[in-house]
Amino acid sequence: MPSTPGVPHQALDPPQVALSSLPPWLWALVAVMASALLNAAIGPVAIPPGIVVRILLSRLPHAWIEPSWPATFTTILYQIRLPHTALMALCGMALGGSGAAYQGLFRNPLADPYIIGVASGAGFGAVAAMAAGWPETALGLAAIPLAAFVGALITVLFVYNLARVGRAISVTTLILAGVAAGSFLSALTSLILLITTHELRRAILWLLGGFQVGGWEPSLVMLPYLTIGLALLALLGRPINVLQYGDEQATQLGLNVERIKTAVIVAASLVAATAVSFSGIIAFVGLVVPHLVRLMWGPDYRRLIPLATLGGGTVLLMADIVARVALAPRDLPVGIVTSLIGAPFFLWLLHRARERKFDG
Amino acid sequence: MTTLRLIEVALGYEGRSVLRQVSLEVRGGEVLALVGPNGVGKSTLINAACGLLPVLAGQVLVDGDDLSRMSPPERARLVAVVPQGTSLPPAFTAFDVVLSGRTPYLGWLDRVGKADEQASLMAMARTGTFDLARRRVGELSGGERQRVLIARALAQSAPVLLLDEPTAHLDLRHQDNVLSMVRALAVERGMAVMMSLHDLNLVARFADRVVLLSDGGVRSIGLPQHVLTPDELASVYGVKMLVLAHPVHHWPVVLPG
Amino acid sequence: MLSVPRSRLAWMAMILLLGLSLAACSGTSRGATPEALGIVVNDGLGRELTLAAPARRIVSLAPSNTEILFSIGAGGQVVGRDELSDYPAEAFNVTSVGSVYGTINLEAIVALDPDLVLLSELNPAEQIAALENAGLTTYLVPNPLDFEDLYANLSTIGQLAGHKEEATALTAALRQRVASIEAQVVGTSPVRVYYEVDGSNPLAPWTTGRGTFQDYLVARSGGVNVVSELDGWAQISLEKLIELDPQVIVFGAGPYVPTTVESLASRDGWQDITALAKGAIYAIDTNWIDRPGPRLVDAYEAMARAIHPEAFE
Repeated sequence: MPSTPGVPHQALDPPQVALSSLPPWLWALVAVMASALLNAAIGPVAIPPGIVVRILLSRLPHAWIEPSWPATFTTILYQIRLPHTALMALCGMALGGSGAAYQGLFRNPLADPYIIGVASGAGFGAVAAMAAGWPETALGLAAIPLAAFVGALITVLFVYNLARVGRAISVTTLILAGVAAGSFLSALTSLILLITTHELRRAILWLLGGFQVGGWEPSLVMLPYLTIGLALLALLGRPINVLQYGDEQATQLGLNVERIKTAVIVAASLVAATAVSFSGIIAFVGLVVPHLVRLMWGPDYRRLIPLATLGGGTVLLMADIVARVALAPRDLPVGIVTSLIGAPFFLWLLHRARERKFDG
Repeated sequence: MTTLRLIEVALGYEGRSVLRQVSLEVRGGEVLALVGPNGVGKSTLINAACGLLPVLAGQVLVDGDDLSRMSPPERARLVAVVPQGTSLPPAFTAFDVVLSGRTPYLGWLDRVGKADEQASLMAMARTGTFDLARRRVGELSGGERQRVLIARALAQSAPVLLLDEPTAHLDLRHQDNVLSMVRALAVERGMAVMMSLHDLNLVARFADRVVLLSDGGVRSIGLPQHVLTPDELASVYGVKMLVLAHPVHHWPVVLPG
Repeated sequence: MLSVPRSRLAWMAMILLLGLSLAACSGTSRGATPEALGIVVNDGLGRELTLAAPARRIVSLAPSNTEILFSIGAGGQVVGRDELSDYPAEAFNVTSVGSVYGTINLEAIVALDPDLVLLSELNPAEQIAALENAGLTTYLVPNPLDFEDLYANLSTIGQLAGHKEEATALTAALRQRVASIEAQVVGTSPVRVYYEVDGSNPLAPWTTGRGTFQDYLVARSGGVNVVSELDGWAQISLEKLIELDPQVIVFGAGPYVPTTVESLASRDGWQDITALAKGAIYAIDTNWIDRPGPRLVDAYEAMARAIHPEAFE
């Protein structure tokens, strides 16, 4: 038996040479933190980046920084910008991670976090809540993300049960049922919008850009769901690799295929539903980021899911900057930016992929 | 020594019966060939023998343990399959593919360990695929892919090995390589090997015994020279056959008559 | 092995529970200054606001409140206004922080360091929550349903801005004017009136029913609102309107309203309505009648003159 200690390590690296000798996760982490800083530094009131850094550092214990800036800057940064940055980072990470997981589950590079009905269910829930006047009840504005969340999960549950025949889960039926449910709910949503005209603008703003009340609450509420869901998805990376061989081979290799599929659906839907409830329907992040990561760092889902998670955060943070700067002082809904930029970018990716004759 | 045993097994899909009353046994160290006309149910039998397809009647036992009572990981530790057609994700490397053979030993939360890597590397060395480790399977030839899949099955460290038409898309040279390797592995590791073949001339060279399937059941089981007689073959395949002795090696050579 | 809870209902319940706890937390606690000796008022959302001292730096996010502030002499304390606050002319000297119908520049408001943000029913709930979350003190001035409500608003804003005397004086002046207008129309016979909000679809225009200030003004002007069986802002079909046959038509006119007296008078199918036959179509400046500020009294006078011109000869 040959024993070349060097080989195993190299064999585990993807054939695609990494961008440098630094590990990918470090790149991804640096990218997301840099874009978060940039996101927090940019806004309608010009705060010089140096001051932003000083304000952030001054909160550390044993800080020796004398406040040389107006108190309103601190308020703006901590009460307005950082909560929004956190929300965008979390939603982006949710979309990237769940998008990668769905692409693994469906073995289909066109899968995105909304494919089995999360978006249409959430949209319907939110618009129905607005039309029914729930925000004016004791539930308050929280009724909207709550209704969106519940709507999303009920839809996924419905689609999942449709696709389950006995104990087997057919991914084809999942997609078809998801598309059908999506059409139905979209039509219902449009109907509601047509009838309750006074909520039209508010509903459209929510669908495109989510829950805009600011504050740390949305991020804090999202955190437990996202932590659990994304951690689970990251751990499922290796089983998802085995899923790529198809149900038959995966079973023959000893994977409990139905349990793994169920786990992926539950975790990815939970994560996607949480994000959509607060961010509205942001397209293309969940579709494109996993592709980008695959191009750079290969198809191994143990790596792909965590990196797509971080990558999704980076991409959404940058898109949010564009959304707030492009038509300043108006805020564009970030969903519009991701579609306007994401679609041509996706076409370019497809073009490149055709040339390389490889599907990740 | 491990034994794979099928007892009065009936197989089918959605009420349509494919095979009935199949009883056979494969012992560790021996190679059993499955032959018969296309569509008779060779692949179905392989799928049942690994527990993937539930049997309609009868039992599939490995060393006396019923496969239908086991979870997929338990089954996979006993039976490894080299499937036909091999749709492999083209972007995975050969090493990734072989490593996936270690799946039955890894729980949800387990990471791939040194032992797993070692087992995979040794399997690749034994199958002559070591140099392919870093290459993507999409770039490999049919013969190379087949050997990678055999390496994967070896990495599974299962005592029973099933192969579904292992030579279907291979040219002559690779057919010989693959089958002699399988034969050698059976002897070396005491594996019970069952493989379906469509080329009757490979049977005598590489199998110890052969099962002839026809008309939804087992027609005969035994040594190649006893099962592959002109009358039996004419009756099963509907074509007159000549069975001659190879001039040099004296094994049966089957030609259309 | 990680196990997934089999019971879907348990999942749903868990998620609902977590969601409801969010709802419970979202009941905003007011971070206002605590002094019991200061100003304590309840706003249009039923929230209690306490100020230690009158507000010195006020941001007004509704044109009506801007008008009120200037009219009671608090104009110098207004450090920020919404884009649509255009009266009085001095308002243009104040920094604009965006439009209620577009985007409000939250950071700019915070940068102005206000101690009070005045809102009206124009401002959506999300905006109010966003202002609260940015640590700002907000007060929502409710839409008045009659003149007493208006006077109450003037008084409250006077308290909040430290101009109680001016508010009281203004209230007295307005009260007197209202009384004199009312005196003119007392004893007149009721006239059927139709008030139009939006005539973009002449076959189904929008009008004001019970509970609106326009309806209230019509009643106090010696008129009868023909759409008395509808509530709030409602649509009415042209057929119904012809059946109700108003004698006077009044509408709110302004730069954003396409309707003019001439365009209304020449609408297809409207000719049989008495008001058109008699030429009794009147426009009132929408900035008077749609803004819940002191110029509501101007609107009242215009309404009364439209409905009973003979009483003002």
